[in-house]
Amino acid sequence: MPTHTSSACVLFMLPEQPVNMAGVVFRRWARALSNGNRSGISAFLLGNRAASGMTKDSLPGSYPKTPEERAAAAKKYNIRVEDYEPYPDRGEGFGDYPKLPERSQSERDPWYQWDHPDLRRNWGEPMHWDFDAYIRNRVDTSPSPVSWSSMSKQLFGFIGFMLLMFYLGEKFPSYQPVAPKQYPYNDLYLERGGDPDKQPEEVKHYEI
Amino acid sequence: MSFFGRTLGILRTGTQLFRRGPQRIPTRKASDGPHIEPLYRQYPQLTKKQKFDAEFLSGAMWFWILWHLWHDSDAVLGHFPWPDASEWTDAELGIPPDDEE
Amino acid sequence: MPSLHIILTTSFIITLVILISPVFTSILYKSLNPNWHTHHIKTAVKMAFFTSLLPLFLHLHTGTELTITNLHWMNIMTFDINTSFKLDHLSITFVPIALYVTWAILEFASWYMKSDPNINQFFKFLLIFLIAMVTLVTANNMFQLFIGWEGVGIMSFLLIGWWWARADANTAALQAVLYNRVGDVGLIFALGWMATNLNSWEMQQMFITAKSLDMNAPLIGLILAATGKSAQFGLHPWLPSAMEGPTPVSALLHSSTMVVAGIFLLVRLSPLMQDNPFALTTCLILGALTTLFTTICALTQNDIKKIIAFSTSSQLGLMMVTIGLNQPYLAFLHICTHAFFKAMLFLCSGVIIHALNNEQDIRKMGGLHYLIPTTTSCLTIGSLALMGTPFLAGFFSKDAIIEALNNSYLNAWALALTLLATSLTAAYSLRMIFFVNMNFPRFPALSPINENIKSITNPLKRLAWGTILAGLLMTCAVLPPKPPMLSMPPYIKLTALVITILGLTIALELALFTNKQRPYMPKQYFYFSTMLGYYPTIMHRFFPYTFLKLSQTIATMTIDQTWLEKTGPKTITSLNLSLATTTSNIQKGMIKTFLSLFFTTLMIIILLNYY
Repeated sequence: MPTHTSSACVLFMLPEQPVNMAGVVFRRWARALSNGNRSGISAFLLGNRAASGMTKDSLPGSYPKTPEERAAAAKKYNIRVEDYEPYPDRGEGFGDYPKLPERSQSERDPWYQWDHPDLRRNWGEPMHWDFDAYIRNRVDTSPSPVSWSSMSKQLFGFIGFMLLMFYLGEKFPSYQPVAPKQYPYNDLYLERGGDPDKQPEEVKHYEI
Repeated sequence: MSFFGRTLGILRTGTQLFRRGPQRIPTRKASDGPHIEPLYRQYPQLTKKQKFDAEFLSGAMWFWILWHLWHDSDAVLGHFPWPDASEWTDAELGIPPDDEE
Repeated sequence: MPSLHIILTTSFIITLVILISPVFTSILYKSLNPNWHTHHIKTAVKMAFFTSLLPLFLHLHTGTELTITNLHWMNIMTFDINTSFKLDHLSITFVPIALYVTWAILEFASWYMKSDPNINQFFKFLLIFLIAMVTLVTANNMFQLFIGWEGVGIMSFLLIGWWWARADANTAALQAVLYNRVGDVGLIFALGWMATNLNSWEMQQMFITAKSLDMNAPLIGLILAATGKSAQFGLHPWLPSAMEGPTPVSALLHSSTMVVAGIFLLVRLSPLMQDNPFALTTCLILGALTTLFTTICALTQNDIKKIIAFSTSSQLGLMMVTIGLNQPYLAFLHICTHAFFKAMLFLCSGVIIHALNNEQDIRKMGGLHYLIPTTTSCLTIGSLALMGTPFLAGFFSKDAIIEALNNSYLNAWALALTLLATSLTAAYSLRMIFFVNMNFPRFPALSPINENIKSITNPLKRLAWGTILAGLLMTCAVLPPKPPMLSMPPYIKLTALVITILGLTIALELALFTNKQRPYMPKQYFYFSTMLGYYPTIMHRFFPYTFLKLSQTIATMTIDQTWLEKTGPKTITSLNLSLATTTSNIQKGMIKTFLSLFFTTLMIIILLNYY
């Protein structure tokens, strides 16, 4: 029961470190919440640290300026020096992290014996900064036989053409009239803006 | 949690298989019926029942189609002829002849 | 006749209880028998089917329809929510059909999924799905319908991702659930609108109150919901992707029952739509576009399940067109007949895939007629029914739809597209038969082929009989609520048949032509079809890429940079710096500066005094 020992430890150290009070309260609260479930949630909660608590090892180093630093960084990330290229130093926190090509995992060879076949990734291989966006469920960047612009043109051209034709189809509908439409009052002579002074000739829709 | 459930399920089934020993390993053969030996570069043998089923189903379909085509062809060709107004006679329409007063 | 109602209600409730009971009894066991799925679930569905025949016969005989409101669920102020079931023509007809198809599929699955360690759970999922579907179909209350709607959505997600170790299956499941959520936004919007404006979710009350209101907004929501669930154009890519799931799932969920839920929703709520030309036109256009687009995609697919999936999508488009024609009952008829032959086509593809050692590519099949005759016979019957061959199931609905199309006053382009799609349906069905059944085998010689198993042949045969007979039975037994056109010129009457034959002929010609032609590099327009109209490529790359990139950058960098760096310290520094420089530059001890400052202050004070 690692959580027990650790919290007991903190309790024991309380007189020296009163600052930790909040932490203790939180831990107790978390334990109460997880209801003595030692393996599951409490371990997760306690093991969950803020990003600021990351060690120096898990953070990228500072931006390499000299060729020697570049070589050291490349070695650190398991890349050849020729392939190593850091992100531009614009204070975005990339540090010496290598700028890898934006290639998704679904582009990789499915038949190769990857160390981690689900992620299609080998052990120790450098990860893209946005690796989580390029996993197989998300963005796919594999090459397509047709260029992007041509694809968009054809798709949106198709949709546009269809919409235009639907508009025209709405203007010129299709139907099967049995006979021309017949209306009373001389085929609605007055209602259609005929001259009221002139008597039109009688329209007969029947013939005997 | 379903992940755990599934893992447990697999483990459980796995242990059950273990306990039962080697005589019950699930195979593709799956269930009842004759097992057909794989043959090299030949069509596998068919049972009579298989052939009969296939012929019977197709035959039933064609019988159904043709029988109905023979008896209810109007469902395909049109139930009633389209009225052609020019062929209607005055007598049918109840119009008196022109010379009648 | 109160006794009739009692029989109807009771038998319906017995059906439900039989269906639900295995889910509960499974909890009682510590570990389930390996054959539990066949003994309990399949039998339960079978029993439920026979029980549900009783209300069907009663309904057909007497025309009884009723609404059961049996529980006051909750109320908010004056707004009541009840559990109420609607046993009308739609639900009483659809429930036995769904149960019949499910029975066949479950029996098939007991063979197909035999080696799966979690087969009991698989069957339980299918059963829960079926219960949700029955809830959806029999609901008389929008809330209840929504529960069924979401239930089938969740079960669809779980079942597509059944082989969860495969990333492709996970992706497909995610796609399904996301596209369906887009549709659900529409349904929830419509629900909210109804709650605020109609003050009821009970259907009969909604239909009465809605008469005097402008229904455009909620109807668009409902159409969006149907678009998501029934894979209409725009939200369609999930349906072909869903073929990553096991074949019984494709057969049950993604062809015969779940995907028709969207159409069913519109059929159920058709009294809201029938006087709204805007909504009807939207449905018509959407359906016509879907049916053509997916048919184009189906033409060049090589995966047998994808072909059938696209044909499902195309038929769903046809149903949508029928709703747009204001003929919801014809759409419902097509739902019913389509369930039989589409489920059967999927089962056939399942047999073939298993028989050829998980080969799905139709180019590597061929000559299966010699090897698995029953399956190929059923495949042919199903394809013929799909094309609308006279007197098979598809004919009675499809022919009626096309006649209604030809005789209605409608958008000419929608008519043209639908007819073209009908013609192409024949083309791709024949292509599938041509590649799968005919010619000589093109697969490895040592494939474990065996269809001589009862749990394959029985469901196939039952569905084949359904495919042959159901259409006529359904049309004879039920009087259409709207009188069909009986009298029409022969050229209109024959259109459906002629265009189908035309499609067949073209396909045959092309198929024979390919034997003689030299292989060639496909033209660019060919890719439009093989790459599914580029729709998934564009939509599934552009949006995730943009959104993920944006959110990642915003969350991890831009926010920090903007607030903690740029606006905070840096801006304040630069502001202070420039202000300090300006003010200190002025302070040079010159009398002119002090005087002008003095006068400026004075002027400001005076001005402020006066105004």
